[in-house]
Order: sequence, then structure tokens, then C-alpha cells
Amino acid sequence: MRVTDAMLYERAAQDCSSARSRMDEATSEVSSGKKLSQPGDDPAASGLVVLEQMRKNQFDAIASAAGRASDELSAADGALNTVDNALSRARELAVQLSNGTYSASDRAAGAAEVTGLISTIVSALNTQVGNRYVFGGTQDGTAPFSGVVTDTSGNVDPALTGAYHGDAGVRQVEIAPGVLQDVSVRADVALKGVGGGSDVLATLANLANALTANDPAAVGATLDGLTQGTTQVATARSVAGADVDTLTAAVNASQAASADATKRISGLADADPIQSASDLAAAQTALQASLTAVGESFKFSLLNYL
Amino acid sequence: MSDLFRILGSAASSLDAQTAAAATTSHNLENSNTPGYARQRVSIETTLPAEEVGNVYIGQGAQVASVTQVRDGFLEAQLPSAFGQASSSSATASTLQAVDALDPQASGGLGDAVSGFYAALSQLAQNAADPGLRQSAVSAAQTLATSFNQTRGALEEARTGVDQKLSGDVAQVNDLAQTVASLNGQIRAARAGGAEPNDLLDARQQAVDQLAQLSGALPVATSEGDVSLFLSGGAPLVTSLKAGTLSAVPDPANGGHLGLELKAGGVQRKVSPGGELGGLLSARDGALETAVNSLDTLAFDFSGAVNAVHQAGVDLSGNAGQPLFSVTALNGAAAQIAVNAAIAANPALLATAHAGGGPGDASNVNDLLKTQSQLLSGGLDASGTLSQVTSAFGATAASAKAQSDADGALRDHLTTLRASASGVSIDEELIAMQKTQQAYQAISKVLQTTNDLFTTLMSIKPT
Repeated sequence: MRVTDAMLYERAAQDCSSARSRMDEATSEVSSGKKLSQPGDDPAASGLVVLEQMRKNQFDAIASAAGRASDELSAADGALNTVDNALSRARELAVQLSNGTYSASDRAAGAAEVTGLISTIVSALNTQVGNRYVFGGTQDGTAPFSGVVTDTSGNVDPALTGAYHGDAGVRQVEIAPGVLQDVSVRADVALKGVGGGSDVLATLANLANALTANDPAAVGATLDGLTQGTTQVATARSVAGADVDTLTAAVNASQAASADATKRISGLADADPIQSASDLAAAQTALQASLTAVGESFKFSLLNYL
Repeated sequence: MSDLFRILGSAASSLDAQTAAAATTSHNLENSNTPGYARQRVSIETTLPAEEVGNVYIGQGAQVASVTQVRDGFLEAQLPSAFGQASSSSATASTLQAVDALDPQASGGLGDAVSGFYAALSQLAQNAADPGLRQSAVSAAQTLATSFNQTRGALEEARTGVDQKLSGDVAQVNDLAQTVASLNGQIRAARAGGAEPNDLLDARQQAVDQLAQLSGALPVATSEGDVSLFLSGGAPLVTSLKAGTLSAVPDPANGGHLGLELKAGGVQRKVSPGGELGGLLSARDGALETAVNSLDTLAFDFSGAVNAVHQAGVDLSGNAGQPLFSVTALNGAAAQIAVNAAIAANPALLATAHAGGGPGDASNVNDLLKTQSQLLSGGLDASGTLSQVTSAFGATAASAKAQSDADGALRDHLTTLRASASGVSIDEELIAMQKTQQAYQAISKVLQTTNDLFTTLMSIKPT
């Protein structure tokens, strides 16, 4: 083949430029650690990266939402534990003071203690997480339970004391894409006996009034209601516990799914450091060889010998 | 009969021939770095007829027969279309490569904005009445709308950038077409004298090459020795001595982007050229337009889905929800999409609850969350659609790049072959120069010797 000078220079320019561009690609892969910078680098992987990234964000959001819901349920469970303890103490007093051997002043002291227990229960039920009341259903902006209300004769009003201002709403949280889980305790069911149970707070008010009236038989009559109330609270706690377990599992599953997505994104888009370092070394060698060859080829001209 | 004067005469014309050879060699050397230059060769021949003396012919030296270009017609015929193809695919590839709006890993992209919107809703579901969370959900919706606007804006900007480049290229094409037409005329005039105007041919070839790169125009040689140029579809850019005028005209049917029209022979027609112009058009009205339209569809469907759910809920005051996103038409949806101004001003208007629910009722937020996996008109959910838009754009960009590499390799191969056939080799020219020098010296020696012969002759004294 006839080799002309223009051809020599043109080929030198083409070869050096392509060797340099390969080295530039290899350098950018090593320095950025990424092998995908544009959709055109790998169209299928680029689409998947977008998908996986959004999936990862979704699972992160679910994990954080489920985590917070679980914290809130734990707070509700703590409040119900306080209620449970107070109910046990009320039952103890009712059993003790329904016995005729106790005096009127013993019962009066008991009445004061029971009134105090009602306040304790109400304040536990008005627990807030953040700025919301956890036992109010969807009416979470105002305290769901009223405190102790006494009538003109000094008796505790069983209708107004512990009145429920919330609703029957149940909060739900997304625990997997498109899957919702109940994450609130129906305080109206557990404490107010909605749906056929015992109205625990009214029973406590009746107990306080019976003790004030020094009526052992009436005191004894509240025992059934108190026992049923304890059962209701225990049921609510076990539901809450199961929900916390579900949420914990959801948090773990979402975190695992998010980690998987991260791993897949990395597999699709991140450069293999060893591979890219060796690519870079190869590209450097190629560029050096190309420059050397071009430099050598320019040396030989008849001009140097005439 | 042969005489010494005749020898002097033929030596003089032979010296002329060698001078012409030296001049051509030096012209070649001087143009060794001139683009489009084809090396020239002097062909020297014996002066005819030889003189008949008695019954023998005595030669009369040498003379220049012609000075011709060395060109390989077979190669040159393939070059214009190779130039056109390579410029076209390279223009498409580099235009698409310069667009970074759809880069898969760029943070703050549309994908992040969509998931950011749903993450904010997911937080809002925790405490629907909280003003802070409502505000951040509205902000996330605004970020999403802005992200749609920006992504579409960046793609549209790339299309507008193509328009600007088109205008520049069109002016260049018109200049070059004029040049070719006028060179056709000059070459005709020069050839009338009988000789080949090599340097004019080079200049025309150079202009034809550039036109092939810019517009994909293919040359057709005419019987008069002119070169006419035709765009794809047979639109005549140059016919012999007349050049058409290409113009870039806004096309209302294509969002005001520029379309190309050629005016030739009093006829104005739409043309779709090849070359760089064609490559730019194919990027602008191909992958970029598809991506813009897909984004519009996504914005329209997505806001429709979210709005339907949002309007089914009630806000903090128990009033029915308003549309969350305001989008009026499918065409340009991604550019128009914005958060309803009333909701943006008052996050309490977010319809988080179902009718009858309290302020903490987040059931409608949960319904909104479900739109994340709702299938849109393309049969995919929002993330799937976005992923598909990215892949489709990437696939076009990748195939344009591959095509450009292949076309570029063919063009480089052919130009190398042309450089091999027509380029100047300095070594070769130096050798030719040496050869000419030797011949020149030899002929000078002839003159010297003839002169000596004359002197000898003149010094003969009568006895």
C-alpha cells in the first residue's frame, strides 16, 4: 500500500484520539466508581437502576413509617400497662372492702384511692405521641377521655367521668407495598365496653361511689365488671403486642428489601474496582504504545537523509 | 538535416519540461498539508514528430504532455454517502449523549422526586393532622411537579439547541452550494482551453465533501463536467450552475421547531436531508421527542390517578378534596404540572381523610399511597414507566453511538484509502525532485557540450 504523509498523520490522529478516549473512559470509571453515567451506557441496566432506586426509596419509607407506628404502639402498650396495674389495685380494694369487717372510714379512704386510680387511668389513656393522642381513634387532636367529674353531692358522676370523645377509627400503616396493617388500639372497646363489653371507667366510678356510701354489697357488685375490664385490657394489649411483632417484621423485611435493592443497584451501576483498575492500566499502556509508535513513525523521512 | 541549433532548441524545450516537473513537485510538496488536495503528476513525452534525416529519424527531445491529478474514482464515488452517514449518526449520537436529564444515577432526578412524594405521604399517614407533615407532603408534591417541569425543560432545551445548530448548518450549506455552482462555471471556462484545472477540481471536491457531511447531498457528474448535488428524495441542491437555497422555517405542527425547506428553480419544498442536518433532526424528532411525549403522558396519567383519589377524600374541615395537581392537557402536561395553588397556600386542604373521619384519619393518604403501584395508561406503574422512558432513551442513544462508531470506521477507512491514492508522499516527491534535478543537470550538460561544439566549429580557421 502506498503510504502518504497525510495518511500517516491522519491515522496518528485517529489512533491517538481513540486511545485517549478509551483512557478517559477508563479513568472516569475508576475515579467515579460508576460504570453507568448515561442511559446510553447500558439502556436495560439504566431502566432497572431507576426502578430499583424507587423501590428502595419505597421500602425505606415503609420501614420508617412502620418503625414509627411500632414506637407508637409500644407507647400505647405502656399506657395500657398502667391501666392494668390500676385495675388490679381497684379489684384488690373492691375484694377487700366488700368484706363487712371494714369500717366506714376505711371505705372512705378506699373511695379516695379509687378516685385517684381513675385519674391515673385517664391520664394514661390521654397519652400523646408527638402531638397526637394515641387512644382517640381519628379524633387525635383532643384528649379522648374526660377526667373525674363529681356531682353536687360529691359523688363521682359515672356518665361524665371517663367519657370518651374519640371515635371508632383505626389507624392503618403500609407495611409492604399496597398492604395495610391496623396499628391502633380501640380504647373505646377496651375501656368503654363498646360492642358488648364492660364500661370499666363507669364501673370504677360506681366503686368509688359505693365506697363513699359505705355499701359493702354495692362494692362487691362491681367485681364482675372489674374482672371483665381486666380481661378487655389484656386482650387489647395482646392485639397491640401482635401488631408490634408484625410491624417489627415489616421493618426488618423492608430494610432487607431496601438493602437488596441497594445491592442490585450497585451490581448494575457500580464499576468493579479491580476490573476498572486493570482496564485503566490496559488503556494507559495502549495510549503509551500508540504515542510511541506515532512518534517513531514521524522520525523517518527522506528529508533527514538528503 | 540535423544541426547544432536544433540540438540547442530541443534541449531548451526539454529543460522546460523538467522545470514543469520541478514546479509540479514543489506544488505537491507545498500542498502536502492542504485538505482535499490530490497530488499532481507531470507526464513528459518525447517531442513528436521526430525529424527525418535521410532514412533515419532523429528525436527532438522531450516536452510536457499533461499535468493530471491522481484520483481513484471508485473510492471517491463511495465517499459522499460514507461522509453523509457518518456525520448523520455522529450528530445523533453526540446530541443524545449531551442530554443528562435522564441519567439514571443523578440525584434529584424525577425518580427521586416521585419516591420523595410517596415517602412524604407515608410520613403523613402517621399523623394526618400534623401541620408540619402536611406542609412537607405539599412541598414534596411541589418538588415532584418542579422535577417534571425541569426534566421536560432540559429535554426541550436540547431540542431548541438542535434548532440553533440547524440554523448555523443551513447557512453553511447555502454558502457551499453557491461555491459548488460557481466552481462548476469556472471549471467549464477553464476546460474550454483544453487543460485540466486541477486546483479548481480540488476546491470543488472539497466543497462537495463538506456538503455531503452537512446535508448528505450526493454528487452526480453531468456530461458538461459539472457536479450537481441532490438531497435525499431527489431535491436538487445544486444543478450545474444554479444553487438552491435551504432555509430553516418554524413548523407549527412540531411545536415551532425548525423544519427545512429548499427553494430551487422557483419551487419551494420541504426536504429531509441527511448528513449532520439529518442526524440532528433525527435526534430532535426521534428519541428526544419520544422522551418528552412519554414524560407528558406520565405527568398526565400520574396526576390524573392522584387527583382522582385526592378528590374522593375530605380535607381537615371535612370538605371534598380538590385536585392536588393542576394539569390541563396531555400535550405539555409535564411542563404545566403544578400543585393546586389553593392547596400549596393552605396544606389543611390536603384531603387526607375519608368522609366522616376525624382529623387524624389518614385513610385517604393510604389510598393515595396505593397509587404508587396503580397501572397507568402504558400498562406500567409510575416507577415502571419512568424506568421504561429511561431505557428507551438509552437504547436509542446506545444504538446511535454504535451506528456512529461503525459509520465513522467506514469513513475513516475510505479517507485513508483516498489519502493513500491521492495524498502527497514527501519521500516520493523528494525522489521525483532528485530525478528532475539529475535530468536538468544532464540537459544543461547537453547545452554546455553543444556550446563547446559551436566553439570548436567557430575556431576552425581557414588555412
